[in-house]
Order: sequence, then structure tokens, then C-alpha cells
Amino acid sequence: MSHPRLRLIGAAVTGLALAGTMAACGSGGGSSSSSAGGSSSYTFWDPYPQFDGTSDWVKLVESCGKSAGVSVKRTGFDTSDLTSKTLLAAQQGKAPDLIVIDNPVISTLADAGVLTTTDDLGLDTSSFAENLTAAGVLDGKTYGVPIGANTLALYYNADLLQKAGVDPASVKDWDSLNAALAQLKGKGSKGITFSGIGTEEGSFQFLPWFWGSGANLKDLSSSDAVSAVNLWVDWLKKGYAPNSVINNTQTTAWQEFSAGDVGFVENGTWQMGNAQKLPFKWGVISIPAKAGGAAPAPTGGEFVAAPVQKDNGRYKATEKIVSCLTDPANLLTTDTTLSYIAPIESVQQQQVANDAALQPWVTAVGDAKGRTSDNLGTNYPIISEQMWDAFQKAMTGSASAEAAMKAAQDAAAAKVK
Amino acid sequence: MLATAPALRDETTVSSRRARVARRSYRGLFAWLYLLPVLTYLVVFYAYPLYRNAELSLRDYTVRSFVSGDAPFIGFDNFRTMLDDPTFVPAVVHTTVFTFVSIGFQYAIGLALAVFFNRSFRLSGTLRALFLVPWLLPLIVSASTWSWMLNSESGVVNSALTAFGMPQINWLTSPTWSLTAVIIANIWIGIPFNLVILYSGLQAIPDDVFEAAALDGASGWRTFRHITLPLLRPVSAITLLLGFVYTLKVFDIIWIMTRGGPSNSSTTMSTWSYELGFGSLLPHFGPAAAVGNMLILVALVFGLVYIRYEKVQASR
Amino acid sequence: MSHTPLSSRGTPRSTGTTVIGIVLTALMLFPVYWMVNVSLTRPSDMRRDPPYLLPIHPTLGGYRAVLHDQLPYLGTSLLIGLCTVALTLVVAAPAGYALAKLRPRGGQTLTFVLLMAQMIPGIIMAMGFYAIFLNLGITNSWWGLVVADSTIAVPFGVLIFTAFMSGIPDELMSAAKIDGANTWRTFWYVVLPISRNPIVTVSLFAFLWAWSDFIFASTLDSGGSLQPITLGIYKYIGNNNQEWNSIMATAVVASIPATFLLVVAQRYVAAGVTAGAVKD
Repeated sequence: MSHPRLRLIGAAVTGLALAGTMAACGSGGGSSSSSAGGSSSYTFWDPYPQFDGTSDWVKLVESCGKSAGVSVKRTGFDTSDLTSKTLLAAQQGKAPDLIVIDNPVISTLADAGVLTTTDDLGLDTSSFAENLTAAGVLDGKTYGVPIGANTLALYYNADLLQKAGVDPASVKDWDSLNAALAQLKGKGSKGITFSGIGTEEGSFQFLPWFWGSGANLKDLSSSDAVSAVNLWVDWLKKGYAPNSVINNTQTTAWQEFSAGDVGFVENGTWQMGNAQKLPFKWGVISIPAKAGGAAPAPTGGEFVAAPVQKDNGRYKATEKIVSCLTDPANLLTTDTTLSYIAPIESVQQQQVANDAALQPWVTAVGDAKGRTSDNLGTNYPIISEQMWDAFQKAMTGSASAEAAMKAAQDAAAAKVK
Repeated sequence: MLATAPALRDETTVSSRRARVARRSYRGLFAWLYLLPVLTYLVVFYAYPLYRNAELSLRDYTVRSFVSGDAPFIGFDNFRTMLDDPTFVPAVVHTTVFTFVSIGFQYAIGLALAVFFNRSFRLSGTLRALFLVPWLLPLIVSASTWSWMLNSESGVVNSALTAFGMPQINWLTSPTWSLTAVIIANIWIGIPFNLVILYSGLQAIPDDVFEAAALDGASGWRTFRHITLPLLRPVSAITLLLGFVYTLKVFDIIWIMTRGGPSNSSTTMSTWSYELGFGSLLPHFGPAAAVGNMLILVALVFGLVYIRYEKVQASR
Repeated sequence: MSHTPLSSRGTPRSTGTTVIGIVLTALMLFPVYWMVNVSLTRPSDMRRDPPYLLPIHPTLGGYRAVLHDQLPYLGTSLLIGLCTVALTLVVAAPAGYALAKLRPRGGQTLTFVLLMAQMIPGIIMAMGFYAIFLNLGITNSWWGLVVADSTIAVPFGVLIFTAFMSGIPDELMSAAKIDGANTWRTFWYVVLPISRNPIVTVSLFAFLWAWSDFIFASTLDSGGSLQPITLGIYKYIGNNNQEWNSIMATAVVASIPATFLLVVAQRYVAAGVTAGAVKD
């Protein structure tokens, strides 16, 4: 009677041994992660879990640490986790020495008193493009430096446009864009796809149209703002955009574009690598503003910042590591790997010299705006949430654009500081 | 019911009665030794998060005071804000619908499958094991798979529907259908749990009962209604209660499929709590904790109902 | 109450039942098939409208990535899963025995508290654990994760063991006592051997929950050198980009050993419980 049980236990023990061996073999090679002494080991958190110990990025981080005289333990997290983890760690008094984090979060962390200013560190930020550092400025103080920027533009399917008789150079404002979309729909393709999901990603995609209409984040109910929402709503009504945009992430939108039957997709610099693999001819144009010209697009990309530590003495090495990471030579490698545009002009020129296709992106980044700029700081997330709520309601038909934006403005005004 | 057959003992003298009492309390002490690991668990791993959560909901936390830990105590203000929020009523309604519809279908389908598998046939063991595969998959994968299948344009479900001449349904992007979509996915994920427990329960019913019923000429349905179901009652009760508690907590599926949208049409208390705490760039920990606590309270009430029900049943 | 072996439950049904069983299983597993389908799809076909029902232009790129990267993660998941089962059984079985048979005062309250414990949403638990682990300095350890994962299964395990062991006839207990056994010997030599059903059930659930857990792994072990497969998936989730065929391929490969374990474990439940010590 106990035989079956013994067999089960035996199986479990064998399984455990096997598992332990597999795990040990796998990790034995790679991890010589230094958790040596307390004071000479610096913690570094970034939102790039796709890079492991063998990647160039991690090697760069570790070598910057070495040149600063300390050993660096680096951990990659999912970007949406990083904010709460940093806050929790700071609460417990165990904040990491350095974090690389999405730029709109900087003001939230700065407001929480978690970050040091660049003055505290003794860091010189003059060589960085001002419109990019603005996202990390709160009440006149700078709380980190950008390591790279990306922004949005319109990729187009050149083959499809040619078949529909659309000249991409003719898309200069909203009217010409709508005309192009109508022509594409007439030929049986989908006109445009984008990400209109009810998260920060959706707001990110909405902002070029919002700013391009002349609207300002401080007043969501202006007629310009409403016209931007109606642009999207009309695309859905007329069938120029597929219904899935309401739930699309930027990746999903890109996948729809790669399937080959959509004329335009609104997407970012980071897709340049994937764009090379597209099975059709493609091109990039900047997002048109309502009345013509390029619409200001929001800046994506991360900042490197230094959380406050109990021991001020640590800041010296921290500053050296940050300088090393943002050194022009290192920036070139990092930004090329991440498909970002560098935040320093000299490096941007080098990027264009290496790859001429990046020129429109460099221009776009030059015209771009930080979401938390204009000293919106921690008010931005509040406004953004109301904004995505509003365009979601309008796109699903639950409310008219006007009513939705009015409600959003009222709610935001009640909650901002 | 600690009683051993009294006829086996002759305990009439005072000293032996004292000895019996001593033995019982010795055994009681012993029992708590067996329970020591579980108790340690409860205190360290459950009491502390609960306490923190209660604390979070009773203070006015900004990100700054969260880190420095000096938030002012505001009593039940967070709860009042929650009740006034326009999302509250939809969240409660959706939670109720989501929970009861999910459990209803999960239980019914699980029971039907358990009955089906109760008599063994070739491959029944393997097939039953395969039914558990949905539970192996990390929720990010199952939820994403359902998202793909229910996509308005490129989803296989809509392809099938249009192939049969029915209109395309915007499962995830229409406020009318989003709740149904997440309920369907949730039912699928919950069937294995019900199947396994109800099957165990069915297996524990001895054969003689079924044979006696068959001898009396009872049909399959009558046997099921009047014999199987009542005998399964305690197992069903615990399955339904646990199912209720787990479904109340469900978050990943809804979040990955629809983020509670569009326009809060599939928001439940669970997703609302997460949305408040982690859904935007600026966390609101106080209201998030308040919603979370509300959820726990509701589950608590149902737990009490269950205990009462079990007491009533035991006394019958 | 006697428990007869499974094979004599009614007459074995015809092949027709097996066919119906296969159809039902296929219906239930269709989303799993779809997952496999996606894992073999080229990135450019991912959002094709209408979708390919079979992977017409298959690519093994996802699987190549998985075999290249994920084996250590699989090993860790297996290790964590098995250890969680062991820990859960060690904590829950004696507790179930105590609550069912030894019936101490306050046992009812404890049962209720255990029920309540399962009502706490995962994210609240994870945040609490993070604070505790951070203070104890045990974040990023695989065994810390085992402890955290077991908290998912322990209350459930105690309830299942209590329910099952309450059904063990008291005559069995008194028979053991007459034979001179104390509570421990009764537990180990009498109660446990006939508790195979709940042991397998609780083990199954503990393993499955630990295997597919993501929220504790991501909160508590993100930086560790031994990470489970649910975190291994993050290799394919960048901050702006996701490689879905690799993600689905990881899920497929991760399911195989676990499915194998499941099929084996089911046999032990199917083997039935042999006759107890007390006959009718």
C-alpha cells in the first residue's frame, strides 16, 4: 500500500534533483553578479528586461561602474513595475543608486522627494537638448538627464499608396490626410491604424493630433481639442481606421501595419529596426498639424536619475557613472541599440551620418515636446487619464466628443493642484 | 466528536475522569503544535499585508508621504471618496455580474464534465489531465491568447462568426460586449478547478449507493438530482465558496484583455483598485487600498454566510 | 463505506464515450491550440485579417529563441514548483489533521481566518511581501519565492485536508488508539496513507499555482540569478516592443513538462484508494 506513495516520493526527489541541476547549469555560467561589499556595490535599475548579462547595454553599465571605482549590480524590470518598485524601495530606505526610467515619471518621483537634482550630483546638463531635459524639470530644478529620445511619426506602405494613387508628399495637413485615407479606403484597404487604448500609451499617440490642432493640455474642452477627438471619431465612423484601434497597443498597431493592408501607421522611432524587415516598400512622414506643418509630437525615451541615498558620499561615484553613460561615444552605441535619437546634438549628427534614414526622426525629436513640460509636472498624469477616458468614450460612441472632453476638463480641473 | 466508543472504556472513578480531562487538554495543546506552521504563516504573511492595506486606506497618501511615511490620518475619507466616485456603481454592478455568471457557468460545466468523467473509459485519465492545461499557462499568456482570438478584425472568433453569416462583434472594444468577453475567458480558466474538485467529490461517493439506486430502477437524471447532488453538497459548497472568493480577486484577465475598458465597461472592484494604484503615472494608494478593503469585506460577508450554512447543515 | 477500485464503476463505456471525451477536450483546448498557432506565426502575419487557421508560413524563430534562452528558467520553475508542493504539504496536512480530528478549541475560528486569508488580492500580498523581504534582505532568492508561492496554496490545502479528513470514520481512529498509537503515529501511519486523494489534489494545485505565478515572481525575484519561466518571458517584452511568437513559444515549451507531470499524477488519483482498515 505504501509502494505507490514511495514511488511518488521517489519521482518527486528525482524531479527536484533534475530541476536543481538544470537551473544550476544554466545560471552557473552567467551570473558572477557582484554582491560583494555593501558600500562598494551600487544598484542600477532599468526598464530593459530584454537585455541580459551578455548584452552590450549591461556590459556598458558595468564598465562605467568599474571606471568609477565601484561594482554595479544591474536589474532589468518591466517598465510599468519600475515606478511602484522605486517608491516601495524608497519607502523602506533601500532605493537603488541609479534608475533609468520613462521620462514622464521623473516629475512624480521628484515630487515624492525620491530623486536628487543634477546640482546635488554636480552634473553638467548644458550639452543636452533643452526640449528633452524639460521633461525632468520641476519648479526650476532638473532631476535627471535623458539617455535618448524617441517620438512619433507616420510610417506608410509605399506599395499600397502607389496603388491607390496617393502621393505621400501631398499629406501636409488634416484635409490632405483625410483625402488620402478616403482614396485608400476606396481601393479596399484600411487607411490608418494607431493605438487608442485607454492607457498612457493611448494618450501618447493622441498628443500629436491634440497639439497639432492647437490645443493645450491646460484646457481639454477647447474647440481645438474637441476637433482632434472628432478626427479620430470620424476615422472610425468612415471606416478609415479599424475598430481594433480602441484596444490597440503600439505594438499591435505595428503588427496590423506589417500585415500589409493598412496605408499608414502612427508609430515611433523604436520600430526602425523592425521596419527594415517589412515585406513591402515603406517610408516615413511627420504627423501633419491641422493647419499644415509638422505637429509637435511627445517625447518618449528614458532618463537616468539618482535616487536620494542616506550616505551622501555615494553621489561621487554615481555622478561618474551617469557622466560615463551619457558620454557622447557611449550614447552613440546605446541609442543605436535602443533605436533612440541621442539627446546631444553632436551625437545626433553622428547618428545621421551613420544612417541617413534617421534624419526625419532627428528633426521630429527637435520639434518634440515633453509631456510633463510647461511645468505640468505631476498634473500631467491627472490630465492624461481624463483625456484618454474622453477619447475612449467618444470613439466607442458612448458620448459626443464635446460632452466627453467637457467632462474630462471638469474632472481634471477639480483634481489638479 | 472527540468521543471514542464509550463502551470500550470504563471511566467511572474520579481519578480516571481527571485523567481523561488531562488527556483531552494535552491533546488540545498537541493540536495547536500541528497548527503552529499555519499560524506562523497567517501572522507573518497575511496579517502584515492586511494591516498595511488597512493603514493605506485610512490615511491621505501622496507619493511624497508614501515614501516618507508621515501621511495624515483621515479616517474614512478615502472610503467616502470611493462611494462618491462615478465609477463605484458600475464597478459594483460589473463585479456582481462577472462573479455570479462566471461561477454559475464554471460550476455547471465543471459538474457536467465531472459526471462525464466519473465512469472511466479509455483515455479518461489522460483527457482529464489535459483539461488542467489551461491552469498551467501563466495568465499573461491565456489572457493574451483570448485577446488575440477575440480581436475585432484579426480574431479567429469573428472569422468563424462571419463565415456563418453573423455580424462581426467588437468583443473587446465595444462597451456592450467587453464584460461578456472577459466573462467567457474567465469561465474557461475556471473550469479545471471545478472539474478537479467535483470529480474528487464524485469519486468519494461509494459505488453501492449508485448500485442501490440502479436496482431501485432510478433513471440517470433522478439519481443525479436526488442522490448525487445531495451527497455532493459539502464539496459543492466549498467549491462555490472558493470559486466566489477567487473570482472576486480576478484581475489579470480583465486587465490584459480590456484594461477595464472601454470607458469602464468591464471595470470590476479588483481592476479599479489596481487602476487607482498603478494604472496611471501618478499612484493613488489611499483610494486603491480602500477599494481593495471593500472587496475583502464583501468576501468576508460571504465567508460568514458559508460558515453559518455549514453550522446549520452540521446540526441537521 | 467501502471504496472500490475505479475500474468497477459501472461497465466500461463504448468507444463512443471516448470520442465524445476527445471532442470535449479539443473544444476546451482550442485556445491552447491557438497559442501554438501564434507561436509558429511570422511577425508580419500576426494581425492578418482574416487569420490563418493553420500556421501556413510557419517560423521556428520563436522556438529557437526559447531553446537558446529559456532552459535555465524552466529548471528554476520546476525547482520552485516542486519545493512549493513540499512546503505546502508539510504545513497544510498536519494542520488539516489537527482541525479535523483533534478539534482544538478555536479551530472554527482558524478555519474562518484561513478562508478570509484567501480573499486578499494578490497585489496587496505582493506589496506586503516586498516590504518584508526587502527588510530581511531576501529579495531575489528562489527559496523566498517558494515561501511566497506556498502562501497561495496553504490555506486552500488546509481546507481540503480538513474537509477530507473529517470524512475519515472515527472507528479508524479508535482502532489505531486501541493498537496503542499516539496522535503522531495515527497521523503518519493511518491517516496519511488513506489521504492520497487530497494529497494529490493539493499537490496539483500548489504546483500549478507556483508554476504559473507571475505577480510574486515579478515583485520578489526580478533581479535574482534563478528566475522562473514566467519572468523568462520578459526577455521578449521590451519597453516598447513584444515578440509574440517567442512569448507563445515559451508558454508552449513551459507547458510540456508540467503537462507530463499532470498526466502522471492523475494516474495516482485514478488508481483509487485501497480499502481502509475498517470493513462494513
